[in-house]
Order: sequence, then structure tokens, then C-alpha cells
Amino acid sequence: MRLPERQLAVLEAASATDELTMDEIATETGLKPETVTGAAFDLRDEGLLAVTETTTEIAELTDEGREYVAEGLPETRLYRAAVDAGAVDGAVSMGEVIGRADLAGPEVDIALANLPRKGFGTIDSGELTVDPDADPDADPEAAALATLSDGGSVDDESVLDRLASRGLVDLAERTTRAVTLTDAGVDALMEGVEAAETVGQVTPDLLASGEWADVEFAEYNVEADAPAVEGGRKHVLRRTADRVKDVLVGMGFQEMEGPHADSDFWINDCLFMPQDHPARTHWDRFALDVEPMEDIPEALIDRVETAHRDGWGEDGDGYHSPWSEEFAREVALRGHTTSLSMRYLSGYAGAELEPPQRYFSVEKVYRNDTLDPTHLLEFFQIEGWVMAEDLSVRDLMGTFEEFYRQFGITDIRFKPHYNPYTEPSFELFGDHPETGEEIEIGNSGIFREEVTGPLGVDCDVMAWGLALERLAMLTTGAEDIRDLHGTLADIDFLRNAEVSY
Amino acid sequence: MPVVDVDPDALRGLTGHTEKTDEEFKDDLFGLGLEFEGETDDGELQFEFAPDRLDRLSVEGVARSLRYHYGDDRGVYVPEVNDAEWTIEVDESVPDERPYVTGAVVRGVDLDESALESLIQLQEKLHATMGRGRAKGAIGIHDLAMVKGAPLREGAERSITYRGIEPDGETFVPLDSNDELTPAEVLEEHDTGRTYADLVSEYDRYPAIYDELGLFSFPPVINGRRTEVDTESRELLVELTGTDQWTIDKMCTIVCYALSARGATIEEVEVAYADGATHPEEYGPELVRPNLEVDEKSVSHDRIETLLGVDFEPEAVVDCFERSGLDASYTLDETVTYEVEIPPYRVDVLHPLDLVDDVGRAYGFDELEPRYPDVGTVGGRHERTRLEDAVRTSLVGLGFEDLLNFHMTSGVENYDRMRLEPGTDLLGGGEPVEITEPYSEEYTQLRTWALPSLLLLLEGNTHNAYPQDVAEIGFVAEGDESENTNVAESRHVAGAVARRDASYETAKGRLQAVCDDFGVELETPRTDHPTFIDGRTASVVVDGESVGVIGEVHPEVLVEHDLEVPVAAFEFDLDALR
Repeated sequence: MRLPERQLAVLEAASATDELTMDEIATETGLKPETVTGAAFDLRDEGLLAVTETTTEIAELTDEGREYVAEGLPETRLYRAAVDAGAVDGAVSMGEVIGRADLAGPEVDIALANLPRKGFGTIDSGELTVDPDADPDADPEAAALATLSDGGSVDDESVLDRLASRGLVDLAERTTRAVTLTDAGVDALMEGVEAAETVGQVTPDLLASGEWADVEFAEYNVEADAPAVEGGRKHVLRRTADRVKDVLVGMGFQEMEGPHADSDFWINDCLFMPQDHPARTHWDRFALDVEPMEDIPEALIDRVETAHRDGWGEDGDGYHSPWSEEFAREVALRGHTTSLSMRYLSGYAGAELEPPQRYFSVEKVYRNDTLDPTHLLEFFQIEGWVMAEDLSVRDLMGTFEEFYRQFGITDIRFKPHYNPYTEPSFELFGDHPETGEEIEIGNSGIFREEVTGPLGVDCDVMAWGLALERLAMLTTGAEDIRDLHGTLADIDFLRNAEVSY
Repeated sequence: MPVVDVDPDALRGLTGHTEKTDEEFKDDLFGLGLEFEGETDDGELQFEFAPDRLDRLSVEGVARSLRYHYGDDRGVYVPEVNDAEWTIEVDESVPDERPYVTGAVVRGVDLDESALESLIQLQEKLHATMGRGRAKGAIGIHDLAMVKGAPLREGAERSITYRGIEPDGETFVPLDSNDELTPAEVLEEHDTGRTYADLVSEYDRYPAIYDELGLFSFPPVINGRRTEVDTESRELLVELTGTDQWTIDKMCTIVCYALSARGATIEEVEVAYADGATHPEEYGPELVRPNLEVDEKSVSHDRIETLLGVDFEPEAVVDCFERSGLDASYTLDETVTYEVEIPPYRVDVLHPLDLVDDVGRAYGFDELEPRYPDVGTVGGRHERTRLEDAVRTSLVGLGFEDLLNFHMTSGVENYDRMRLEPGTDLLGGGEPVEITEPYSEEYTQLRTWALPSLLLLLEGNTHNAYPQDVAEIGFVAEGDESENTNVAESRHVAGAVARRDASYETAKGRLQAVCDDFGVELETPRTDHPTFIDGRTASVVVDGESVGVIGEVHPEVLVEHDLEVPVAAFEFDLDALR
């Protein structure tokens, strides 16, 4: 028979006739008591050992108990002080005796309660008389305390209970386990038991030599916590962006890309935003201190200027706002990625586009907003558009329903809205997937002819936009966007953000 | 978005729907796109709406829209207008910056406190929106009884004059004051004057309106106290000045409609531009105002059907137009086209498409059944973002925490705290692209490199456990006149290893792994860069081209960022991995 080393040691230490406690076996084998116990139970399971349990009551002194061992019980101290004060001969005043006994606080009450109980004397109308025959030295409670203090044991249960009720000792049960060899155990030892080797780790040698077949693997505490591992992770906003891109690519959208610093022409003028629109004042945009943009197709500038000044088409009206080419050529950080849509729709970003087309981007935009938990100066805008003949508002609704459904947002509402660049326009509302609260989830519409006409597009284009951070806050539960984005980010927050997919 | 305060009792009176509760009004107005925002201290309801229907900036306009919504009114309404008695003479001294003027006379006014408040609100809201903070158009409303106008011209009966004056060329008592002040003093001493001083302070001559007795209005800043309107006023003079005739005419129209809804009668005024005064090109030097002309646009039945995705009978379309306060007629031909009449208070109809939107709203966009468009296209990612993503995956696999930092920063962060100077050939030393009028010292330029962002992040996380291995693939930019935007934009790959045992080797091992992933050859010849320790700094040379820098960050930079662990870092151009 082969047994792991520790089990063998325990088996050899055990006796068929005498019950040996775990502690005794531990002393004999040099193993830790808990290791012995573990091995003993394993051996019992194999029928080689019998394990018996006995429960004994043990008493331990409390702090208060220890104090009285040193100073005497309060009632004893009171008795002796009273004797000194002459209370053997007649009643003496309590106040005087208490002062003499040097009792303080709760000790006074303890002494007054226990002195009569033990027959040391009587208390009447604030005066104390003691029994001259009383013998505090023979007090079993004091004796028991002294015995326990010396490490001895007290058998008188009534005294122990009394001391426990006075809070001077704690009573507890202790289970002692002891083992004896079973007949099978004896037989096994007679036949001879070999120690099986236990190893800590699987090693290349062990595998190559084939020795792994003959060894036992040391057991681990598999429930214990392991040291933390900090792997790298993709940024939580990037992961949300990936999800959005997956959905849009799946819906047939191609990704756009283009400059962050762009002329106001591409950012705003193409979008039919009047030059005196409040969003175009310096308060809302980040103008850059660089020379104006030189290369913009002249014919396109002319058409855009015409749309602004005179309107587009036979019945079109312009804006009655000033328009200057100089302003259009100024370079600023884009306030929306619709500047990319303008570049693609005009054919400036690459090939002239023929319908049908679908395009999107998830890119950064810059707006001079007040920083707060839901607003940053820089954020990601999801932008998408569909170009086709005869698109209707119903197509727009159908497309966005499908998109938001992918994020668990169903039953979206279309609230008629106004944008300078789309008509009809809709704000999109939906229910928060967790809280059910109504939230704005985007802005959409069909590009006006004043936008598409000058770009040379003669079919319909429907478009929508949404802040990625808004979706991310929905999917991660983040309450302050600044935890996620920027140099104030908390690395722990990023490490602990739940993975969404 | 504009907010209009509505007295619910006035709304009940003006709509004639005395049975409606406040709650019912809120629901009905939500249907029109006016969202309930809250109540004012004196119990008026506040509604927010998109800035297209500026004719709804007062309770009178809101009531008009509701009456169409309820079906109480249909089609275009234009108030009766009496012939002009008053003329506004425009003198050639009028400042070039603010040449245009318009106006109207309103008689039979009976304003209670609520109506007067509504009129003042409408004026202020129009200033804020169409008037672009009074720069483009400003309204002055006066008690006509206090205006004295002897006829100046033959044929005219009474007149006032719009002219330009020297900043200290005249005195008058402005509203909310007891002192005789010159216009220049108003701009310095009067609260309202100080608020609007910027609008005229650059002018050589200040705009002023005179009657026989002298100056009574200093547009666009403040009126004189002499002609102040109160609840006793029965006849009003409305004057508007501005930089665009169309805009002030429309603002005037909206005011006239509101007063007409209160039972007043509108009377024309003549505007006569003197020889030498700048007059609006499209109208000529003599105008009769207010301009309550109805506009016309045509829109095809086909366009309405395709855009809304619904089949209509022409009569149903006409019904929708009339319920929107428009009139429409059509001829049944092969193709049906509607001639649509648009009332003058509508400032948002720039194109026939806007009429389709009105039909959609009247029909009810809620009624439309969504459908997924039957259009096939092929989707795909842009090559650049695919590359970025692949590198990000590689870095994350090496244990880097992927970061996302701001692209805007300050010169202090970008250069100074990194021991770097702008205008060098070193990585990060490019010319800054600066924000023209920065709002905050923290964001004054675009970052020229990403490593300062990583160090800033490490600085903010010294309380968290180490190691902190962080990386970012992000946008950087520097001034470059060879670019069309004059800004060279690129993506950099930056990584920093912050840990007790971080060394040059730690960083290089990781950089080497990334280069191996992308099958490019990495060399690291020794170089100098002030951000890093001399002798522990190298150029990142990929396939023979120098694209970045790697090294142990200089202790001065670490201490500057309150870091107590060594940091080894690299940064290079993403395109090197292409």
C-alpha cells in the first residue's frame, strides 16, 4: 500500500490500544496539528483509523476575574475593611467602610450584593455589621479563581456557573479528537505501507521522466484569493465605439475619415448654418491661430454662397444673414463630424458618390461647453447617413429603430424638431434599458436641398448624430464622464469597468 | 433653445378655450413641439421650443398656433391695415453700420399688466433670437401720444427722423433714470447702456431717433423716458433699426400680429430714405411698412408623397396646409402641384421642403409606419481605424492599459513640464497649433505629442497600485503650412511603463514586440532628447526611417509630475507600422 507521507506518519504514530489525541500525534510526528487532523480524517475515510471526539467544558478567567485574583474580591475587601473599622462590635457607617476598602465605581455595588449573600455580614439602613465567624479565606469562589489562575481546573459546576454569571470566567466547550488504529489499519501496517512522494509543482522533469504517474500532488487551498493580476484592457469608450462600428458595418455602412482641424466652410457653411448663427460665434467654437484654408473648390464655394444668400431652387429664399468667404476659409476644430459627411457627399474626400450609399464615423468633435459630469470639451460623435433616391421619413424611422434595437433600446419616439440643415428633423427619444427613464438618444433628419444641392447631390440623404459617451454611460453605468475620458481618468475605474459586448 | 412664458389665463382668453386646464394645454403644446419646462414665480407656464417658429415667442403666437391645432382657425390670416399717417425719415447721417429702419403705428391698444408684460417679453425674445442680441435688429416701442411730429415733407402728415449723432451731441433722459445723459454717458453710466455698449461703441456716429421735441430713442440701446409705454397707453409707435431690412421687417410683423390679436388696429408708416442714405437695395428708397405681404411657394404632390412615404388625396394635403395656417390651391393635371400661400409671420419657410414638414406635422409624424429602406450597400471599416485597432490590440496584449486623452492641452503641459522647447526637430517639439481665443489656461493648443498626456495621467494616479503600464494611440497635431488646413495631423503610438523596476530595457522589449507583430524592422540608435536621461535615449527607427523616441524619462520630469517610480517610455508615428 502507498500513502502520502503525512498520512503514513500519522498511521505509524497511532496505536491500536491507546487513544492518542491529535496534539499527541502532532508532537510525535512533528507535523502541524491541522495537518494531522486532515490526514487522520483521510485515513478514517479509508477505514484505517477510528476518530473519537470528546467534549469538555473549560473555564477561562476574564479580565475582571484576573483583576480580583490579584486584588481580592470586592466583597472580601469590604469585609476586611469593616473588620478593621470595628464592625465586629457593632454597626458602622457604610460610607466610612467603603472609603477604607478603596472600592470604586461598580465594585461598590458588587461588594454590597455579595457580602450578605456569602454570609459575611448584614447591611441595614446604611450601616454594616459583620459576622466575626465568617472566613473569607475559605470562600470557594475566591479559591476557584485562584486555581484557574494557576492553570488548574475546577470541578464544582455550581461555583463555575456562579463565577460565569458574575462575568469573572468564560465557559467554553472544547472538542478533543483522538485516534486509534482499526483492524484494517493494523493489517495494513503489518503488510507494510510505503510513502508516496508528494510534489508541489508539475515540472518538465516530472513529465519527461514519467514520474508524474507515481507522485501525489500536494493539495492547495483552492478557495484562497490569488494575487491580483492587472492585464491591459482596451479603453471602455473604445469598446463601446467598436460595438457601434460593428453594428453599422453590419447594416452596410462604410467608415469615413477626415481632418479634425477644418475650414468653417466644411464644418458649417456647407451645412447651411448661417454665419451669424449663435453656434458659430467664437464662444462656441475653437478657432485656430493658423492661416485660412486656400484650397476649396471655387465652384462649390459659389454654390454654397448662393444657397446662403438667395436660397436653393426656384422657390428658395436665402438667410438674410451676412456671408463672407473669408470667414468660410477660417480654420477651426470641428464642432461635429458632419464636416466629414460634407467632404464625402461633395466627392471632395474621394470618388463622386452615386446612390445608394451608407456612411458613418465615430470620431472626436470639439465644443466649448461647460465641463460637468455629462459634458466635455471633446467627445465622440456617432454620425451616419444614407443616400438614396426617394428616401422618406419612414425609411429614416425604420433605419434608426433597427440601429437602436441593437443596443436594447426599443420603442423609440420621433419628436419633430428643427435643425438648420435638415427638414424634416427629429429628436430621437428612447427608454433607458435599465431604469426605463426617457432619454434623448439622437438628432436626425433629411438633409435640406440647400445642403445637398450645392454639393451636387440630387437624391435624398438622411442623417443622424449622437454622442458616443451617451451610449457608453448607458452601457457602463458611469455617472461622471470625466472618470472615463481624459487625463483626470482614474486608472482603477478603467481597470474595473465591466466588459460589455 | 428659446423659452416662452405663457400666462395660462391669457391663453384661455386668446384661444377662446376657457374650459381647458393647464394640464391639457401642456399636452396640446407638446404636440406642437413646445415642451413644458416649469413655472415662473408668478404662475406662468414656461415652454421651450426649437428656434424655427419665432412667431411663437409670446402667448399671442402660441394661442394662434393652438387655434389652428384645434381647428378653430384655418388658412392664412392677415390683419387689416390702415393707411399711413406717419413717416420715418431716414437722414444721410445715419451710421453706415446700422442703416435700416422699419416700423408701424398701432391704435386702440388696451394693455393690462399681463398683456404689457407679454409685449415686453416678445420684444426681448425677438432681440435674443432674430435680432442676434439686438445687433441685427432692435425694437423700440413708444407711447405715440408722447411723440410730436410736425410734417417735414409735402404729402406726409407727421414724421420722426432716424439719424446719426455725435456720441455727446445730444442729451435725453433714458428709461430707468432721472438724469439727462448723452448717448456716450448712457453707455458708461446706465446699466442697460453698459450691457449693450459693445454694439455701438465702435461707431463714429450713434443711431438716434428724433421727433419735433428732440431725441426720444437711442437704438439699439435704450428708449427715452418721455415715450415710455404703460397700461394707460392707447396708441403705440413701433420702430425697429438694424443691419438687415428683411429681418427687422419680420420682427415688426410678429409684433404687429401679437398686438392685433389683442384687438389693436395696425396702421402703416412710410419709410423715406433721404438721398445719400443707404437704402435696402431690393426695396428702393421709399417703403410702406409693416410688410404683411403673403409669400407664395409651390410644391409637388409627388415630393410630399415620397418624402413622407404616404399616399395622399390632394384634398387631404390641402386640409393639412389649412390646418397649418397656410392656404393651398392646385390644378388636377398629370402631375399635381400646390400653390401655397404663407403668412408673413412665418420666418422659417425658406424652401418648399419646409411646407412638406408642415404637412407632416399636421398629418402627424406619429402616424407614419417605420420601414427599413430597401437599399443594399456594403459596409466596411476605414483602413486607418483598422490599423489603429490592430496596434491597440497588440499593446493591450502586452499588458498596457489603453487610454483616451484630450487632444487639447497647454504649452506648459506639452513642452515646459517635459523639458522641451517648441520649434525643434525633436519628437513633440513641433510648432503649436494654438486656439485663437482660449477660454481656459488648461486648453490653449493641440498636443504635439501624446507622452505628456500619459505623464499627466500617471500624475493623477499616484494613489493607485503599481505597476501602471499605460498606452495611447491618439491624435497629435502641429503647425504645417504645406497642409491645406495649415495643420499637420497624425496618430502617434505612445507607451509608458511606470513600475519599481522600469528601465530602458522594459520599454524596448515591449516596443520590439509591437514591431515584430507588424513585421517591421526596429533599430534604436542613440540620440538626445531633453525629456529622457542622456545615454538612455534612442531614436525609434522603423524600416530605416526615424519615427520616434524611446528612453528612461528624466528624473526632473518625474519629480515635476510627483512620480516616485521610474518611467520608461516610447512614442512613434503610427504610420510606421503600415
